[in-house]
Amino acid sequence: MTLLRLESVSRRFPVGSSILGSRKYLAAVDGVSLNVEAGQTTGIVGESGCGKSTTGRIALGLDSPDSGRVLFQGSLLPRIGSKEWRSQRRQMQLVFQDTLGALDRRMTVDALIAEPLEIHAVGDAASRRQRVWELLQAVGLGDDQHMLYPHQLSGGQRQRVVLARALAPKPSLLVCDEPVSALDVSVQAQIINLLVDLQRELGLGILFISHDLRIVRHVSDRIVVMYLGRVVEQGRADVIIDHPAHPYTQALVSAMPRLPGGFDQYVPLSGEPPSATDRPSGCPFNSRCPVAQDICRQSLPELLPLDSKREVACHRVRDR
Amino acid sequence: MLNKSYKNSASLALLPAHGVPPSCANPAIKIADLTVAFGGVPVLHGVDLIVGKGEAVGVVGESGCGKSVTWRAVLDLLPRSAEVSGEAWLGDFDLVGARSSVLDRVRGGRIAMIFQDPAGALNPVHRIGAQIAEALRLHRGLTGPAARAETRRLLDQVGIADAASRVNAYPHELSGGQNQRVMIAIALAGRPELLVADEPTTALDATVQAQILLLLKKIQQDTGMALVMISHDLAAVAAICDRVCVMYAGRIVEAGSTHTLLTAPEHPYTRDLIGAIPPSCGPRIRLTAIAGAPPQRHLPPGCAYSPRCRDAVAACAVARPQARQVSAGHSVHCLKAAAER
Repeated sequence: MTLLRLESVSRRFPVGSSILGSRKYLAAVDGVSLNVEAGQTTGIVGESGCGKSTTGRIALGLDSPDSGRVLFQGSLLPRIGSKEWRSQRRQMQLVFQDTLGALDRRMTVDALIAEPLEIHAVGDAASRRQRVWELLQAVGLGDDQHMLYPHQLSGGQRQRVVLARALAPKPSLLVCDEPVSALDVSVQAQIINLLVDLQRELGLGILFISHDLRIVRHVSDRIVVMYLGRVVEQGRADVIIDHPAHPYTQALVSAMPRLPGGFDQYVPLSGEPPSATDRPSGCPFNSRCPVAQDICRQSLPELLPLDSKREVACHRVRDR
Repeated sequence: MLNKSYKNSASLALLPAHGVPPSCANPAIKIADLTVAFGGVPVLHGVDLIVGKGEAVGVVGESGCGKSVTWRAVLDLLPRSAEVSGEAWLGDFDLVGARSSVLDRVRGGRIAMIFQDPAGALNPVHRIGAQIAEALRLHRGLTGPAARAETRRLLDQVGIADAASRVNAYPHELSGGQNQRVMIAIALAGRPELLVADEPTTALDATVQAQILLLLKKIQQDTGMALVMISHDLAAVAAICDRVCVMYAGRIVEAGSTHTLLTAPEHPYTRDLIGAIPPSCGPRIRLTAIAGAPPQRHLPPGCAYSPRCRDAVAACAVARPQARQVSAGHSVHCLKAAAER
């Protein structure tokens, strides 16, 4: 069952002043379509500034798209701030990267976890206390941690608190925006394992946003590769990683340090992503693409099915 | 600049000559029994480490294991409250306790260091060309046209396109990856014998990370400079280093050639670190989650890793394991690894 569906969603932000001449716009998200199935994970991967976090915010209704539609469980997201939106927010929760910023540092762990239950008026006081204990157990926080404040916890423990808060109102969708990027490798593994376990137990649909393809590959059923606001390739995770079709996906896959092997399959990719304000005409990737031709500089390639398992936006993909 | 001809360390390590400990008779730096304490609390408990001339050595471990402290202690970059003892021989003089006038010539000259946050390390109000020229003047006495020519050569060497106009750019006009390249150019200005890179790519995007790591590797191979790379990501370290040291709770617990460490790790901590990294190919297996956290302040009496170790036996909590040579160049501090033989 499709839990969340984005249909050619676009969002642009004005940059600079409008007094002198024409106003410039930054196309943060440009015609993105994706699905999150119930109980499955869709991963969004891309470099900084590719619009992956904005896509996550739009998926949650925290930002409204300029065009396109967001469907949650088959119906349109209600207007932001409306009563319907508030009640639907229980179903969809966000997990942040910056855990110290996401947690009120004057509240103890159990007060932090109880807060979303109080906001959504779930049960009575006794049942809420019970639920807080269940959540502490579920995310692996012990008896000695529930009275601590955020600054007394390690980064990994704080991420567990953020997870417990997100899970408190029993959501069906979790949007995780770089949830482990600030953590050590060993703590990353703890949180990733926890997320995988919780998904299996609770049947959560997850939209997992990260710049680290190794982690996205590990957790995702489907992968969406974004570049400068556009989807360049999406499809089944194993197909995308094992047989990437778009030159950018190929570069991303090759830039993962292998263990063992290092960068032995590295395909050099020149330069860095251009700023989203001056996106090259035609295919956004053409300035860095090793196989770009005239057509790539002239027209924007559409996202078209390559085979039954994925879609690719590249003029050259069928030539090779 | 970055081409396929790169041989990464893991494939180099397959060559037979590589299992032999490299040029230890000819070290770039020799650290012996280095200890550091802050306010009476020891954080480094005797580190012994030799980096050979022209060698690339990786230092891995979780946060707080003493990776950065080791190198900051060597260069006297720690706060004054730090109590440092031990030896760090650069050629025939000891850096620990050396006068600051002596260290000023070593820092940036014979040993250079780059950090995780290049934008924070660069001066935002000076053009990058001037910042590189400053390093050239300080360490090599170059001024005027000679300095300008050398600045452009360095920018070329670190792969900044259009160096002639980029010398006039300010750090905020460059991306994170380009700023890190500028940092590397400044580090190279003094023609160092040793470059210490402390998490040089943690803040960078994936494709840029690969570019910078391979650039460091290329410079190390081209110039014969020794390279020390500090990171918590074993895969990134293994990709460019000949040898890897695994640190835990202020000690090196295992050291060996990259190939040996990846294919036959002896210490449970090394095995767990490898298992914690999501594999980039093959089936998706459950990651190894190391329970708990590294010890703070007070170490357990025996092996520091024993409270978190899945293979620990009663003896591990009692006696601290001594170093044991598994093979030439591969040493490990673990009771179990010793007993299994």
